[in-house]
Amino acid sequence: MSDNRSLSNSTALRDGSVLRRVRHLGSARDGLREWRLQRLTALALIPLGLYFTASLLRLATSDRLTAAAWLSSPVPALLVILFLLAGLAHMLIGLRSVFLDYVHSRARLLAAGLLVRAATAVLMGASVLAVLKLFLGR
Amino acid sequence: MPMQRPLSPFMFPTWYRFQITSALSILHRLTGIALAVGSILLTWWLVAVAAGGELFAATHSFIRSPVGTVLLFLWSVAFFYHLCNGIRHLAWDAGYGFELRSAYRGGYIVIAVALVLTVLAWAYVLLA
Repeated sequence: MSDNRSLSNSTALRDGSVLRRVRHLGSARDGLREWRLQRLTALALIPLGLYFTASLLRLATSDRLTAAAWLSSPVPALLVILFLLAGLAHMLIGLRSVFLDYVHSRARLLAAGLLVRAATAVLMGASVLAVLKLFLGR
Repeated sequence: MPMQRPLSPFMFPTWYRFQITSALSILHRLTGIALAVGSILLTWWLVAVAAGGELFAATHSFIRSPVGTVLLFLWSVAFFYHLCNGIRHLAWDAGYGFELRSAYRGGYIVIAVALVLTVLAWAYVLLA
């Protein structure tokens, strides 16, 4: 027990026994940042999501000019971009934790993790670029 | 010889008795996955609005088709459920509502509020 105490986070990288400890004792002393980001994005998504959904359900069936006019005005453009960033980050963390629970081989877990990261990056880039294009008026 | 154990997520019908708490828990994940799929359609719509022309025309007629309308409706149900149950999760994180009674009551409240929000949102869309 007292041995455990000497293994502080600052010395963890140099301690040769860390990996063995992790394998046998469970905690990787990592993951709090992701946990926090999941909660922080969840909080941000309460107002952003309500605002976005209320607007989207009306605009999704409207003509292009109405939707484009909404997305190109400053406040909706800003809030939609924030919604996309928070939502897709939240999505990535959530999907990765689903994989972690249900994908039972290391290789598949790695592949699924890379795939979902790539997909998130593409969605983030494409959706934010689309809003920016409308906002900058081209 | 390793023990043959049942593995998640296929515990429900055979190994676990139905309870609203666990049903809502898996529903939180399922709606989360559904919303992730929805984010592809959402990005597609944003890109279509930005691009205009043929792409927007095709997207527009898809959204207005029966399939598109049902998808949009299901997206809204998944969103409102995930939102409400997510707030329940945040309350748990803060240490509230963990007793069995309040866990059950919170579950029923989440279902009710999600339904009310869905109805309100669509009333706003269709009537306003």
